[in-house]
Amino acid sequence: MLEFVTAILTSLSTGAIYALMSTALVLVWRSTRVINFAQAGQAVLTTYIGYEITTRSGSYWIGFIAAVLSGALIGAGIDRFFMRPIFKRVKSGPIVMIAPVVATLGLLGIIQAIVGFIWGLNYLTIAAPVSTEGIKVFGSVIAFSPFNLMILISVTLSMILLTILFQKTNLGLALRASAYSPEIAKLSGIKVEAIRTIGWALAGAAGGLAGMLYVPGSYLYPNSMEVLLVFGFIAAVIGGLDSLFGAVAGAMILGFAINFSTTYISYKLVFPTAFVILILVLLIKPGGVFSSKKGRKD
Amino acid sequence: MVKLSPNRKRLFAFILLGWVLLLISDRVGELRQYQGSFVAMYALAIASIILLTGYSGQLSLGHSALMAVGAYAGALSINNLKLHPAIALVVAALIAGVFGLFLGFVVARLSGPYLAGTTLALAVSLPTIANQFPILGGEQGIVFDIGTPPQRFGEEFSQYKWFFWISSLAALISIWMLSNLLASRYGRVFRALRDNSVAAQLSGINVGRLKAVAFAISSGIAGLAGGLLVMLISGVSPSAFPLSLSFALLTGAVVTGVYNLKGVMLGGLVLVAIPEIAESVVSRIGGSEGFTTTLPGFMVSALLILAVLFTPNGPGQLLHHHKKKH
Repeated sequence: MLEFVTAILTSLSTGAIYALMSTALVLVWRSTRVINFAQAGQAVLTTYIGYEITTRSGSYWIGFIAAVLSGALIGAGIDRFFMRPIFKRVKSGPIVMIAPVVATLGLLGIIQAIVGFIWGLNYLTIAAPVSTEGIKVFGSVIAFSPFNLMILISVTLSMILLTILFQKTNLGLALRASAYSPEIAKLSGIKVEAIRTIGWALAGAAGGLAGMLYVPGSYLYPNSMEVLLVFGFIAAVIGGLDSLFGAVAGAMILGFAINFSTTYISYKLVFPTAFVILILVLLIKPGGVFSSKKGRKD
Repeated sequence: MVKLSPNRKRLFAFILLGWVLLLISDRVGELRQYQGSFVAMYALAIASIILLTGYSGQLSLGHSALMAVGAYAGALSINNLKLHPAIALVVAALIAGVFGLFLGFVVARLSGPYLAGTTLALAVSLPTIANQFPILGGEQGIVFDIGTPPQRFGEEFSQYKWFFWISSLAALISIWMLSNLLASRYGRVFRALRDNSVAAQLSGINVGRLKAVAFAISSGIAGLAGGLLVMLISGVSPSAFPLSLSFALLTGAVVTGVYNLKGVMLGGLVLVAIPEIAESVVSRIGGSEGFTTTLPGFMVSALLILAVLFTPNGPGQLLHHHKKKH
C-alpha cells in the first residue's frame, strides 16, 4: 500500500517536470510548426546560469529566478535573431521543409559546445532549497521528499499562471489566434511575428524552470537535458502536439507509466516503457490521445 | 562507337573509381589508408541520410542509433554465431533494415516531426539500453574483429590497407546499388513524395508505405556503415554512437547538398577532416579539457548552420545560381 502511494506521488512529481518540457515544445510547435530540439540546449544553458548565480549568491531562489528570466530572454533572442533569419533566407528547394529543424539541431550542438567550454564537462549539482530526504509516514520513510512536493507546487502554479495568461488576457487571445491561423490573425491586426517571439520566450522560461527543478535530483552536464527533451517530446506526442492541456496530460501519463513499470516490474524499464507508449500512440492515435476535431493541418 | 545505357555508364564509373582507389591505396601511408576507410564509411552513412532526407523528404535525427543496431547485430553474429565477417556485415545491414522497416511502418508513414523525434529518442536512450542488457556488453561493449588480411595478399599487406579495401568496396557496391535504385522508377516515386506528397498520392502512390520502405533501405545502409565503423575501431560500445554522430552525418549531408548523391565523398572527407583540424587548432593555441573536447562538436554544428543559411541546397547551388527558378 505504501509502495503504491509512493509510486503515485513520485509519478506526479516526475510527470510535472516532463510537463514543463512538453509545454515548452508545444508552445513553440503551435506558433512555429517546428519541434525545437534546441530546447534541450536552452534549458541546459539557463540551468548553468542558474547554477552560477546560485553558487555566487548562495541562494537557490535567486538562481531560480535568474534561470527562468534568462530562459525567457534566450528563447526570445533565438526566435528573433536566429529562427527569423532562417525562415527569411531559406525559401526554395526541398530543403525548406527540414531547414528550421536542422537549424535548431545545429543550435543545440553549438549551445552544448559553448556550455562545455565555459563550465567544463564535469557533473555538477545544485543543492535543493528544501530537504531531498524522503518524508516519514507512519514511521516508515517513503521515496517522496519535500523537494518533490516543491516541484509539484511550482509546476502547478506555473500551469495555472499559463492558463490564466492564455484564457483571460488579450495577449493569450493573440497567442491562440496566431497559433490557430496565422493569416487570419495577421488580418485582424495581430503582429504574428512578435507574438511568436513571446511564445518562444514562454517556452524558454518553462525550460529554465524544468532545469532548475530537475537538476537537484540529478546532475548538470552539457548533455543532461537530452533525456528530458526526449520525454518531453513523447509527452507532447501523447497529447497531440497542439494542445497545452494535452502536453500536461501526456506528461502525467508518461510519468505514471514509467514510475509504475519501474516500481512493479523492473528498474530497467524507463526507456522501453516510454518507447512502447510512443509506438502505441503513433500506431493507434497519431494525432494524440485527446484528438477529436481537426484543426490546422500542415 | 558503342552506345552505353546510363546504367552501364554508372557501372563503369564505379569500377573506374574503385580502380583509382585501389591504386591510391598502394601509394599512401597507413594513416591515410585508415583515414580513407573512415571517409568511405562516412560517405556510406551520408548516402543513407541523403536517400531519406533528400529523396523522401523525411528527417532522422538518430541515424547513429540505426548504425548502432547494425553494429551490434554484426558483432553478435561474429562472436556468438561465428559467422564469417563478410556475412556479418551483410547481417548488420539486414537487421538494421528490418528494424527500420518496423520503425518505418510505425513512424515514417506519418508526416510531421514524429520520425525526427522518435529517432532522436532512440539515439539518446541507446547508452542506457546497452547498459541494461548484458548481451550488449554495457559501457565496455563487445569486440568486433574483422580478422587479418588473407595470406595470399602477402606479408606486406597491412591491416589498415585491409580496412581500406573492405570499407571502400562495401561503400562502392552499396552506393552503386543505391544510385541504380534512385535512377529507377522508385527514385522517381521518392522524389515525388518529397516534392508533393498530395500529388504523389493522387497518382496512385501509397505514400505511407513508400516512406516506410525508404526509411528501411536507409536504415539498412546505415546499419552497414555502423558495421564498418566498429570494424575500424574494432569494438562496438554505446560511446561509438553518440548523438553527435547523428548531427555530424546530417551536417555531412547538408554540406554536400541534401539531394545530391554525388557529393557524399566530399561529406565523408569533411567529417574526417574536422577532428583533425580541431586537433591542430588545439595543439597550436592550447586550451582546457572542455575546449579540446567540445571544439569538434562546435565546428560540426557551426558548419551545419552555415550550410543551411548560405548553401541550403548544396554547394552546387552556388555554381548554378542563375539557372534556379522557383
